[in-house]
Amino acid sequence: MNGRSRGSLVLAVAAVILFGGLSIWLQAARDSMPLATSDNETLYVTERAAGRGVFTHRLLAADLYWIRAIQYFGSRSRVARVRQTDPFEPPPSLSLETPVSFDQLYSLLDISTTLDPRFNIAYRFGAIFLAAQYPEGPGRPDLAVALLKKALITSPEKWQYWHDIGFVYYWNRHEYRQASEAFQRGADLPGAPWWLRSLAATTLVRGGDRETSRLLWRQLAETAENEDARHAANIKLMQLDAIDQIERLQTVIDAVAARTKEPVTSWRVLLNAGALRAVPRDPTGEEYRLSSGRVTVSSQSSLFPLPVEPGSSPRP
Amino acid sequence: MKTLGWIAINGFREAVRDKVMYSLVAFAVLLIVASYIVGELTAGQDVKITKDLGLSAIGIFGLFMAIFIGIGLVSKEVERRSIYSLLAKPIRRSDLVIGKYLGLVLTLVVNVAVMTAALYLVLAYLGTEESDLARQAREAPLLDPALLKAVGLMLVQLMVVTATALFFSTFSTPILSAVLTFLVYVAGFFSADLRNFDQVVDSRVVQALARGLYYMLPNLASFDVTAQVVHGLPITWRYMAVTTAYGLTYITILLVMSATIFSRRDFK
Amino acid sequence: MPLAIETIELTKDYAVGFWRKRPRRALDHLSLQVETGEVFGFLGPNGAGKTTTLKLLMQLVFPTSGEARILGRPPGDLGAKRRLGYLPENPYFYDYLTAEELLAYFAGLLGLPPADRRRRVSALLDQVGLGNERKLQLRKFSKGMLQRVGIAQALLNEPDLVILDEPMSGLDPLGRRDVRKLILELRDRGCTVFFSSHVLSDAEALCSRVAILAKGRLVASGRLSDMLAFGVRGWELVVANMSDTLVAKYRPRLSRAEPLGGGRFSLELPIETPPEQLLTELTADGGQLVSLNPLRETLENFFVEHVGQRP
Repeated sequence: MNGRSRGSLVLAVAAVILFGGLSIWLQAARDSMPLATSDNETLYVTERAAGRGVFTHRLLAADLYWIRAIQYFGSRSRVARVRQTDPFEPPPSLSLETPVSFDQLYSLLDISTTLDPRFNIAYRFGAIFLAAQYPEGPGRPDLAVALLKKALITSPEKWQYWHDIGFVYYWNRHEYRQASEAFQRGADLPGAPWWLRSLAATTLVRGGDRETSRLLWRQLAETAENEDARHAANIKLMQLDAIDQIERLQTVIDAVAARTKEPVTSWRVLLNAGALRAVPRDPTGEEYRLSSGRVTVSSQSSLFPLPVEPGSSPRP
Repeated sequence: MKTLGWIAINGFREAVRDKVMYSLVAFAVLLIVASYIVGELTAGQDVKITKDLGLSAIGIFGLFMAIFIGIGLVSKEVERRSIYSLLAKPIRRSDLVIGKYLGLVLTLVVNVAVMTAALYLVLAYLGTEESDLARQAREAPLLDPALLKAVGLMLVQLMVVTATALFFSTFSTPILSAVLTFLVYVAGFFSADLRNFDQVVDSRVVQALARGLYYMLPNLASFDVTAQVVHGLPITWRYMAVTTAYGLTYITILLVMSATIFSRRDFK
Repeated sequence: MPLAIETIELTKDYAVGFWRKRPRRALDHLSLQVETGEVFGFLGPNGAGKTTTLKLLMQLVFPTSGEARILGRPPGDLGAKRRLGYLPENPYFYDYLTAEELLAYFAGLLGLPPADRRRRVSALLDQVGLGNERKLQLRKFSKGMLQRVGIAQALLNEPDLVILDEPMSGLDPLGRRDVRKLILELRDRGCTVFFSSHVLSDAEALCSRVAILAKGRLVASGRLSDMLAFGVRGWELVVANMSDTLVAKYRPRLSRAEPLGGGRFSLELPIETPPEQLLTELTADGGQLVSLNPLRETLENFFVEHVGQRP
């Protein structure tokens, strides 16, 4: 094209119209082929709620919100635990309102998983954070289940989410029938592992049993997708072992106390009495503490505080 | 034909010798490498983050390059008057427009290739550090060739943006062209919302207008398959083909309009 | 012999004002002929429309009405462009290229085969005096150097017609002399040279024909010698060894007498007075002749007369 000839203008207009029509046809063809994750009705609505201002980089934004969620949880959890053990010396950087709030945790996780509805780890770890008892977390198993149910909207085929739901019902809410139903639904999905079904059965029959708990945690440790999850599960298993040990030690102490007709005040007494050969240590190697005749795990130990067992009273 | 080659090569040479261009590419590569550090913060999700960040970086920097060089393609020449001696040579005005466009596309391809290579290198490095446990748990392969699908569609998208920048620069100043191109880019991303207008608005007229606008603006969001690739979801070849064809058609329209306007205007 | 350049009632209006109500007429029905092989000067004050005319010829702008022909073809014709060279006013080239690269690029666009390309580029750079700067990036070039590059790129294809817009601008006296020499060489080779200028002495020295443009209209055109009418309007004598009293003696017969200091005077004789008679008398009185020149009508006078008259 060179110059202002009438012919070339007509040709150009014709070309634009022709290709314009072609582009519309192609658009329609492409629109009828939705991609695997987008154009979900719910997604559209909640995305608008999350603030669409991040268009294509929403995955990145999801990652950022996830990082914020981890740090929010981590820092609050740490402060809360310190407060718990040393109530008379709160950290100077915080005000004196207790308890430490975890209010924003759910929002952060919700936004992150809205931006990336397939953000697997945000759902699973997020649920763990939410369900964790105070002072480790906000102690909101209801929100944890809500988050996991949200995961199932986008990925109904993933049995792991049903497994996690069952876990929350079992461990945090002590609702064994619900837990069993959740395990069952997970077990019904194609590709689910065989032990999910046996879990369903066991929790129904022996909910609250320490062995059942061990089973759950052991399965979690073996199928964990990363080191952090496996480590957490192993800690839990060690805590259960510690509870076993404490119960046995308690038996010994009570026996010695009954014999000497005096409360046992220190390990020395037991050593002198020949009941023990050395000061007992928990599975991480920290010595147990003995005060007012009761055995507890040391506050220095990484197993502190011991979890509340389903069906028992809270530990000191 | 040879004329187009000469003009394209010269356009490429101009871009390659531009310091700003180098800075952009270097910065992008730095960012991709830095994603390794960010990955440490995310509880073992460093592969996902690296892919997210890497693809986003390529997208953003590619966009800057596309707009930045695109507007200079023609506007700069006209403003500086270097166009006078160029058009005195036996070339058609349309050859100039198309040749310059091809030169820019070449530049984009090279830059995107460099950034993609950096991304793959970082991913490979991550691979040497990760545990078997993590490897099993991944949704998509580490050095996933599907990443190239995402990059490929991203490239087509950048070519559309470049053609838009070129179009505006055939008749307006560099700054105005940049602003207009950016506006079209933003509109192109939200254009998918226009399609859903009939669910939100009652008026038939507005619905029709929205539909019309939807088809007129380039639907840029459809070129973004990052979410699929990172989560290892399938992208059919059919989708790639149709979307690419759409992009090329849109580019053709823009080039025809650019060549026409450029051929008929006065150079004051 | 076909005309190298021809314009017929060529007119260009520019739209001025935001709503394009009042067009500004930059060129008003220009009709011009440039013959093959001549050096043609296109003269006029700044803003007269010279550059507009050249742009119309090169199809950088489109005419409002009228026609133009270059080498017998319409403006923008690719075949014609292959045989012509163009130097724009205040040229600007790609500052990231070296002089050599720029010329090689243009030579490629002109379709010169690779071996010829290298040869031509090298020869031309030498010819315009930029042999040592061939690998220097154009952003480091001075205005004068850029002008030389501009001339070089106009001659790459050994054109039959060369169109130059203010070719002397930015050049020092040596440079201007070189360009004049070049233009004459081109003419001797049979090339047609069409250049615009507002420096009249260049036109006087080089052109066989000129056209004078003012406020978009053609004011005068034709052979230089015709326009200046071969008219000798007087004589100028420069004499030495004169005294004021001696000059006073001859004063009535002179139209002007100016002292130059040291006993020298410049005397102007009207055309009616033959100089030989006066000279004999002066020499008898002791005066010495230094020089004797006919006073011709200059282009400048002509210019001021005709252009100054326009409303």
